[in-house]
Amino acid sequence: MVRVSLTVNGEKRDAEVPPETTLLRMLREAFNLTGAKLGCDVGDCGACTVIVDGKLVNSCLMLAGQVDGRDVLTIEGLATADNLHPIQKVFEEKGSLQCGFCGPGVILSAKWLLDQNPDPSVPDIRDALSGNLCRCTGYTKMIEAIQTIARERTV
Amino acid sequence: METTTKTGTLVEAEELLRARTHSPLVPLPIEVRGPEPNRQTPAVGQRTTRPDARTHGLGQTKYIDDFYVPGMLYAKIKRAGVASARITKVDTSEAEAMPGVVAVITGKDIPVNSFGPSLKDQPVLAHERVFHAGDGVAAVAAVTEQIAADALEKIKIEYEEFAPVLDPLESLKLETPGVHAPSANIYGHKLIKKGDIEKGFAESYRIFEASFRTQMVEHVPLEPHSSLAQWDANGRLTIHSTLGRITLGRADIARTLGIPMSRIRIIATVVGGNFGGKNEITTEPVIGMLAKKTGRPVKCTFTRPEEFYASTTRHPIIMDYKTGVTKEGKILARKVRLVLDGGAYCSWSETTLGKACILCAGPYEIENLVAEAFVVYTNKTMTGAMRGFGAPQVCFGYESHMDDMAKALGIDPLEMRLRNVLKEGSLSPTSQALHSVVVKESLLQAAKRFGWNVQGAGQGQGALP
Amino acid sequence: MRAFEFYAARNASDAVALLAQHGPKVKVLAGGTDLLADLKFAAASHHPQVVVDISRADDLRGIQMTDQGLRIGALVTHTEIMDSPIIREQLPALVDAAHTIGAVQTRNLGTLGGNLVTAVPSMDSGPTLVALDAIVTVAGPEGKRQMPIVQFWVGPRKTILKTSEILVDIIIPKENVGKPTHFLKFGLRKGQALALVNVAASFHVDGNTFKAPRIGLGAVAPTVIHATSAESFLEGKPITPENMAEAGKLAVNDAKPINDFRASATYRRDLIAVLTRRALEGAYELHRKREAK
Repeated sequence: MVRVSLTVNGEKRDAEVPPETTLLRMLREAFNLTGAKLGCDVGDCGACTVIVDGKLVNSCLMLAGQVDGRDVLTIEGLATADNLHPIQKVFEEKGSLQCGFCGPGVILSAKWLLDQNPDPSVPDIRDALSGNLCRCTGYTKMIEAIQTIARERTV
Repeated sequence: METTTKTGTLVEAEELLRARTHSPLVPLPIEVRGPEPNRQTPAVGQRTTRPDARTHGLGQTKYIDDFYVPGMLYAKIKRAGVASARITKVDTSEAEAMPGVVAVITGKDIPVNSFGPSLKDQPVLAHERVFHAGDGVAAVAAVTEQIAADALEKIKIEYEEFAPVLDPLESLKLETPGVHAPSANIYGHKLIKKGDIEKGFAESYRIFEASFRTQMVEHVPLEPHSSLAQWDANGRLTIHSTLGRITLGRADIARTLGIPMSRIRIIATVVGGNFGGKNEITTEPVIGMLAKKTGRPVKCTFTRPEEFYASTTRHPIIMDYKTGVTKEGKILARKVRLVLDGGAYCSWSETTLGKACILCAGPYEIENLVAEAFVVYTNKTMTGAMRGFGAPQVCFGYESHMDDMAKALGIDPLEMRLRNVLKEGSLSPTSQALHSVVVKESLLQAAKRFGWNVQGAGQGQGALP
Repeated sequence: MRAFEFYAARNASDAVALLAQHGPKVKVLAGGTDLLADLKFAAASHHPQVVVDISRADDLRGIQMTDQGLRIGALVTHTEIMDSPIIREQLPALVDAAHTIGAVQTRNLGTLGGNLVTAVPSMDSGPTLVALDAIVTVAGPEGKRQMPIVQFWVGPRKTILKTSEILVDIIIPKENVGKPTHFLKFGLRKGQALALVNVAASFHVDGNTFKAPRIGLGAVAPTVIHATSAESFLEGKPITPENMAEAGKLAVNDAKPINDFRASATYRRDLIAVLTRRALEGAYELHRKREAK
């Protein structure tokens, strides 16, 4: 077993898991944080996207042992229902999500992008979302939403 | 809107509903009104937000794989890996002896081992015969997903392999061995005849023939198929499932498990993408049996590879077009043969076959038409429902054919289409009178928007300079 | 994933010691983007007993100039390459190559060393480093050794690394830091695509002639290779569009592309000629831009 102590969404958490446990599994099964999804399990779809020490990563491609001592942000750490993050608010208004399965990952990718680059161009947004597959809505409304947030922030 | 008064059906319905509202015994909660001519519903142009957007954005929407029930076991299914074979020996003893493995089942444990939305030709778990490589041949319930996966490798299955039928055109031939012998390989057929095809060809200035093929396509919903089965204290089965058609699924689960529908409850939560790929049961009877055998809740979630080889896909279609035209590009006659690759099981092939056949003439007025479609079994991943039910495949066929003919006749491809499009009141291939037809307007609008008439627009840019 | 034992190495020598201690059924975890994907779906017979995590070995990180040249630690991620001021300034081709790998999430995890160690012929880090005559350093129980990068790979998914050895760093020789270089990749789509062909071209401009021209080709042979006949053709020749086009044609013969489900060998040969010419043009364009400044 591997003993892991880390910060998840601002809280200190500990877990003891088998060494082959991925960060995604630990989040979902040990911490009951099911916002990050298992879509492909090989780092293509981005449904498992989380932010580790400020870096956007696929949680299915990290072992639990690798995040010992690190700071993990999942979709659950972003906001609450009556205090939405601006990205969640605009995604809701623009209808950027349909089935919602890619949503937690896409929203974290958008957050990471806007943290890095407050005024992204459409190619910048496309590049930032290229690791998040969406099979329903497509990307147009997500791109619109991210641009809207950037505009509102810069005003 | 005129159609409502012509056919009368909607008016009748409206009267019926009005009559019902007058009855004190059957009060309706809201006033029901029929459509008013030339008045658009006020919903058009209104902005609204999806009611589920909030929980989606918060990551709080619960999909099936997000559920955990105390005591829950994880199921995994062993896939055949061979396209056509007889199962000669099954040995699950080593898997059953593994610590953490709670139950193992095979095809013989399924009470009624056949299902399907139209033909009941699909086994829950293959028993005796394997029809495609993605067939499940055994299932394991274990305390962790990994133990279940490891146990699959301990299940020993011996096969007597047969030469698989892989080419739909081969399958179409009468001398080809039946995939599901003694049943024939052609399991669906549709023929549409309109006008006088021979006369149409005889009067044609030129006749063009072309053949097109499309490939198999997987839906790739971002959420893999998943279901969770639990029996309650009173012997009722509750299944949480990604199933899109729960009433149909309930009937199939009842059939395969040999219990009345009234003892089955299906709960379908938000689905992470369906696209037609989650319209029938997959593992539900298997986990139902495993849950019964173990007395514990059992969950099964497909791996991404299983999505590709153990769920339905879009039918590949081989399309042969023969079209007679005038010098001006007006289509006088068209003959189409479609061969749909059905894969190992029928699934929604009949619906797909029908749609493809009705739509294969395209949005064009063709007085003389013969369209014939076949769907055949092959030893491949089954094909079923997918957005459009056969329409996208034939669209690729007839539009490619149209471009080829326009080029050969020296007619602008847009003009060629405008000379043939369906108009208000045109008859469809099945002689349905069509209304609200705006093909011409749509084409012109589209051409305007992407600048068709601009020099060079729409020309292929594929060649490397 | 099947079970394995997990050890985290603190530094390079610790990693080597752990590898030596745990013998042949051991795998090294750096960025994990290839390894974990493989471990989830590989057959039981290929599954390691031990995984040694080197992702916290800080002496395998960092980008800096040394006496030998520009040293890039094996654990430097693709994102770190894209963000490195010295690489952006001196070798933008490496930035372009890194940018075509995977997506943000995988670039944040995936390492340059990991990309090279996979020895996949289509690796996007390969051609530029080949075109820059990069040197790699390998550490094992007997110490360190260095070799030209093309000698590091011996076939598809095969390197010269012994079980107890790791890749330590990649060095761009001093004389090639700043050498005009251009990388191009052709995939079936922009995001997350494997290269059908990837090419890097690099040369010094001597008057108006090619000096030390180098062309790296990926996805068209068992390993990333030099287009040697194109290179020797260009040496000392005037920099003209005709010579660049001719080099493109010659590069086709240096490659042995295969037919697979992504593309035919014929298509790949066409791509080699066009992309090689364009990569040479791109490198020259970079040179002229710098001159103009």
